[in-house]
Amino acid sequence: MSESKNTGDVSSRLAELRERFVVRATSDLLALEALASGFSRGGVDRAQLFDACQRLHRLAGSAGTFGLPELGESARALEKNLKAAVEQADQDGVDPVPVSGDVIQRMVALRSMLQGRGQQGPLSASSRKESTSPDGVHGLRIGVAVITDGADGGAMAPLRNDLEAYGFDCRLVSGSDQAVEAALRDWGVGAMVLLCDESRMEAVAAIRGSINGTDGGCLSLIALGPEDSFHSRYQVAGLGADAFFCHPPNLPELTERIEYLALERTAKVQGRVAIVEDDTELAEHYALVLKTAGIEVCSVTDPMELMGQLSSFQPDIVLMDVQLGRFSGETLARMVRFYPQWLSLPIIYLSSEDDPDNQLTALSRGADEFLVKPVSDSYLVRAVQIRCFRARQLSRLMNRDSLTGLLKHSLIKQEVEKELARCRREGHESCVVMVDLDHFKSINDTWGHPFGDTVIRTLANFLRNRLRETDMIGRYGGEEFLVVLPRCTQEAAAELFREIAEGFSQLTFTSGPETFHVTLSAGVSAVGHHGSGEQAVEAADQALYLRKKAGRNGVTVYGMPGTTS
Amino acid sequence: MPVQADSVQRILYVEDDPDIRSVAELALVDVGGFEVLLCESGREALDSIDDFGPDLVLLDVMMPVMDGPETLQALRARQGGLDAPVVFMTARLQPSEVEEYLEMGAIGVIPKPFDPMTLAEQIRQLVSTNQGADRRDLR
Repeated sequence: MSESKNTGDVSSRLAELRERFVVRATSDLLALEALASGFSRGGVDRAQLFDACQRLHRLAGSAGTFGLPELGESARALEKNLKAAVEQADQDGVDPVPVSGDVIQRMVALRSMLQGRGQQGPLSASSRKESTSPDGVHGLRIGVAVITDGADGGAMAPLRNDLEAYGFDCRLVSGSDQAVEAALRDWGVGAMVLLCDESRMEAVAAIRGSINGTDGGCLSLIALGPEDSFHSRYQVAGLGADAFFCHPPNLPELTERIEYLALERTAKVQGRVAIVEDDTELAEHYALVLKTAGIEVCSVTDPMELMGQLSSFQPDIVLMDVQLGRFSGETLARMVRFYPQWLSLPIIYLSSEDDPDNQLTALSRGADEFLVKPVSDSYLVRAVQIRCFRARQLSRLMNRDSLTGLLKHSLIKQEVEKELARCRREGHESCVVMVDLDHFKSINDTWGHPFGDTVIRTLANFLRNRLRETDMIGRYGGEEFLVVLPRCTQEAAAELFREIAEGFSQLTFTSGPETFHVTLSAGVSAVGHHGSGEQAVEAADQALYLRKKAGRNGVTVYGMPGTTS
Repeated sequence: MPVQADSVQRILYVEDDPDIRSVAELALVDVGGFEVLLCESGREALDSIDDFGPDLVLLDVMMPVMDGPETLQALRARQGGLDAPVVFMTARLQPSEVEEYLEMGAIGVIPKPFDPMTLAEQIRQLVSTNQGADRRDLR
C-alpha cells in the first residue's frame, strides 16, 4: 500500500511538473515561432540565431524528460541545422546567415507538437494522467467533416466556407462509405464532429461506430434534415445522432453545438475531489481508487485545515464523512457555506446512515447528497465522476458569457489579478491584451444586431482557436475582449496579436448578396509592470485607445506607441 | 579515493533550468532516496558546498555565466579542493565531448533528456562501475 501510494504520488507530481513545463515550453515555442516568422530566406541575423539555438537546445534537453520525446528530437535536429548553417556562413564569409525555408517552416511547426501532446506517449511507465483545463477547448483546433454525396458537395458545400470562417478545420468528405471511413481515419485530428444529411445518417453512424470502437470514441455526429418533424428527429436520434438541425442551419447555433460536442468529447480530466475523512486508511483507499480513475484528490484528515486546503486545491466537489472525531461533518458543511466562494460547492456525505429521514435532516443542513457506506470502488468512481461533471457544467453556466462561452467580465478580471500574483511569485513576464472590434456600431447599424452577434461570436471562436490552452479569454464588454497570456513577453504578445488581427481581417462575412470584412484593434500591457491587475487592464485599454487613434486594425504595446502595425 | 555505491547519499545538483531542477529533485529524492541540494548556478554551488558536504556532484554542462566545466574548475580551486566524484549532464552528446569530460575527471556523463524514473539508478550504476577503478586523477 505504501509503495503504491508512493509511486502514485510521484506520478501525480510528475504530471504537475509536466504541466508547468508545457507552459514554459509554450513560451519558448511562441518565441521561436516569432523568431522564425521574422527570418527571411535571404539571411538571418546571428544574434537571433543564437537566441533560437539556445531555446532549441533547452527544449532538446528537457522535452523528453517531460514525456515529449518527439518535440525534443525535432528541436535537437533544428538546433543542428541552424548551427550548421552558421558554420557554413562563417566558412563562406557570408553575413547575414542564409537559412532554408524548410528549416523555418519546421521551427514554426514545433508548436503543433506541443498541442498534440494528448496523443503522445506517457511521461514514464508509471504515470498515465495529465490534467488539462476542463472548461475551454481553446488550444485545440476542432475538425469538422461535412459528408457529401458528390464531389461538388451539393447542398452541403457552402457549409464548409461558413464553418472555416468560424475557425474550424472543415473539410468536405465524399465518396463511398469505405472512402469516407478511410478519409476520416487518415485525418487524425484531436476532436472531430461529423455533419451529414439525414438520408445518409445510417451509413455514417455505422462508420462512426467502427472508428469510435477502435479510437476511444471522440467523434460526434450531427444530422441535417430538410424538415423539422417529430418523426425525422426521432429517427436520427434512434440512429445515434448527437444533434439535429434543419437545412439550412442557423450558423451561430450550429457552431455553438459543434464547440459543445467537441468540448464534451475531449474533457479528459474527470474532476477534483476533496475527501474529508479522519480515518486515514479509508481516506487513502478512496484517494487511490479515485486517482486510478484519473480524478485528482486532496485528502483532508484534520478538519481544522479544511478551509485552507479548499482554497489551495479548489475542488469541484467535497466528499465529507459525517463524523470526524470530535467534529461533526454537518457543522463543517454549514461552516463551509459561510464563505461566499463556496456557496455552490457540492458537498456529498459519506455515511453509513441509511435511514432516509435522518439523511433528509442532514441534507437540510448544508449537504447536497448522500453516498451510503460501504460504497464499492466502481460505484464511488462513477458517482464522483457524474457529480464532478455536473458541478463543472453548472459553474460553466454561471461563469461563462452566454453569447460567446468566454469568461464573464468579473472572472477574467480575477484571472488578471491571479496572474499578477503568479508573476510576482515566480518572476516571469505575462501580458494582458484588450481587443476591440473596429467600427462595431456601424456593423450593427448597417446589418442589424443579430449579425453583430455573429461577428462577436466569430471573434470569440477565432481567439479560442488561435490561443494556447493556458491563455484565458473573457468578454469584457459589448465588443471588447480581454485576454491573459501567461508567460509571454510583450513582444511575443504583440506579434501574436498582429497575426490574429491580420487573420481576422481576412475573414469574409456574408449578409445576403453582400460581403465585407471586419478588423480589430488590440492593446497590450505587461501585467507585472503595474501595481494592480486593474492598472494593467487600464494600461492595455490606453494602448488600445492609442491604436484606435492611430488608425485601428493592429496592435499597440503600452509605453511603446511606436510598436504599431 | 574509492567510491562505494551505497556511500553516495548526498548529491549536490547544479542546474539553471527550474523545471529540470524540480523534476530532478523528484527523481533523486522521491524515486532515488538521495538527499539533494539544488543550486541554480555555479556561484550558488560554490557558496553552499562546504555546508552541505556532498558525496557526489551532478553538473549541468550548459549554464549561463559559469558553465558546468567552469563550475568544476572553481569547485576544485577552493581551499581543500573537491573530494566528491562528479557527473555531468548534457543535451549535446558527442563522443568527443564525453571524452573531454572524462578527461576532466568526471566519472560519467548522463545524456539529457533523462528519464526521471531511472535517473537515480543511472547515477548508482556510474558510481558502482567506478568503484575501485584507478581514478587517481579524480581530483
